[in-house]
Amino acid sequence: MAKPKIAIFDFACCEGCQLQIVNLEEEILSLLGGADVVEWREAMSEKSDEYDIALIEGSITRLEDEERLLLIRGRAKVLIALGACATIGGINKLKNNFDDLDEVKKCVYGRAASKPHLHTGFTKAIDEVVQVDYYVHGCPIDRKEFTYIVRSLLMGKTPEIPDFPVCVECKAKGNPCLWQYDQVCLGPIIRAGCGARCPSNGFRCFGCRGYTSNPNVDAAKDVITRYGLSVDDLKTKMVLFGSKQEPTIYE
Amino acid sequence: MSVKKITKSDFAGFVSALIQRESVIGVQAKGDRFDFAPLESAKDLRLDYDVTLQPPKKYLLPPMEVLLTYEVGGAYQSQIDDKKFILLGVHPYDVVAINQMDELFSQDNYDAHYMTRRQNATIIACDVARSSDHVFASSMGAAVVREGYDILLTDIGDSYLMEAATAKGNELLALAKGAVEADPAALRRREDIWTHNRKSLNKHELKCDPAYLPRLLAKAYKHPVWEERAKTCFNCGSCNQVCPTCYCFNVQDDVNWDLQTGQRTRAWDGCLLEGFTKVAPNHEFRKNRADRFRHRLYRKAAYVPQKIHGQIACVGCGRCVGACLPDIANPVSVYNRLIDDLGIG
Repeated sequence: MAKPKIAIFDFACCEGCQLQIVNLEEEILSLLGGADVVEWREAMSEKSDEYDIALIEGSITRLEDEERLLLIRGRAKVLIALGACATIGGINKLKNNFDDLDEVKKCVYGRAASKPHLHTGFTKAIDEVVQVDYYVHGCPIDRKEFTYIVRSLLMGKTPEIPDFPVCVECKAKGNPCLWQYDQVCLGPIIRAGCGARCPSNGFRCFGCRGYTSNPNVDAAKDVITRYGLSVDDLKTKMVLFGSKQEPTIYE
Repeated sequence: MSVKKITKSDFAGFVSALIQRESVIGVQAKGDRFDFAPLESAKDLRLDYDVTLQPPKKYLLPPMEVLLTYEVGGAYQSQIDDKKFILLGVHPYDVVAINQMDELFSQDNYDAHYMTRRQNATIIACDVARSSDHVFASSMGAAVVREGYDILLTDIGDSYLMEAATAKGNELLALAKGAVEADPAALRRREDIWTHNRKSLNKHELKCDPAYLPRLLAKAYKHPVWEERAKTCFNCGSCNQVCPTCYCFNVQDDVNWDLQTGQRTRAWDGCLLEGFTKVAPNHEFRKNRADRFRHRLYRKAAYVPQKIHGQIACVGCGRCVGACLPDIANPVSVYNRLIDDLGIG
């Protein structure tokens, strides 16, 4: 059997998730042993229009990006969203909280706001444009999880991605709950798989892996009340990675 | 077996001797809390702790372990962890939990991974010197324990009493320089501590004898409390993850880059979690939050007891109470609510 061809494409993002793949260092050689990487702008100069697996990093903010993504989807047998910008829109979705994007642009870029390369619209996650087969969550992605997913696909197996909250991994690590130390941690509603990296180092969960498929909004409301906080207090913590995503919390 | 008495300074010497002899896992401070961790120095040991963040279970059933390595379509090799170690400072309720797990892992399919670790573990238990915020071991009959350990320590003020219960325990006690036979006054002091703990480790008081719980649950399956509590349940499984008697696990295979060899791992799972009951083809038979919430409390006081001669699989450590953010996990509060509504008898 011929090795599957993999191509890696980037859209609106910091390219940090690709960097995590580069950071695999020696393990990249193993990856290359199992698959042919035919296009990867950050690490090689070759390009190709033939590939089996397309890894998509970044979110979609321009019409021409949508067209390019549709073209890639048409060529790829399997399409994988790589990292928070691709899986949930990530930080790029902050601007979707505003109605007037021209105002946003002026605020961020000042006089440069009219430059043509800044002509962008509202942010979309990859699955708002094309069908996504697999998700590699996180900002940035977890290298171990990424390689596990790739190996599973090379074996023809469906990778098992957690659909339970970060608390599971956090408690298993023996961490005390950060809520008891005055931090508004999003762990209870955010998908695990990161090994609770942030809470294990004393920082609340920022929610980079997105919500679990069934987060309990009633429980979130109950807890913020219990801790003497308001819905807005919680929303300000959710805005970084959770803008314009479900679940919406109403007053 | 005889009971020894040792001054606290001589006891520190005993702990140092243990550390020299083999790997010791002891209770230590972790921030302003406590947890079991590899003990490097006797001075780090904190037998005055209230409760540890994690029960000592993780040293017998690790959160993640490799069960076997395999060749795809070929042979496999079991991976057995057979290092000797000492668990130092295990509270009685956690000893009771370990005793229950010993029964569970040795029945049906004998679990060589757990049982090998267990046989290589020496358990030095320690009576509770300071009660935690949520302990209710008195209600569950697990405030004091008289079996399942190799040595039992009791802090009687200026000294510890040390009672060996096994040959392994006796052998270790021989390392305790300065230990003398406990005098009757010291033994009476220990009895007083036991009497006190049997009553006072009870921040949440169960309104019935725990032995009644299976009969209570037999008539509670459709009670509204399950829906009411589960309404604010995150299904985060924190209650499962900190529980000394939760032992469910998930097994996964991960292949190496050669796509020819791999390892089978098992990791803690939890009945509260979304996907816990997912089977092929993507069917999930306990999909509602309330069903999963109910299941945990039925496991503790109805299902597991059937496997371990009626013992209730909740030892009253109170960790789930402290770990549950929406404060719905407390087993006593749920069982008491059922008693209020359904009565006893």
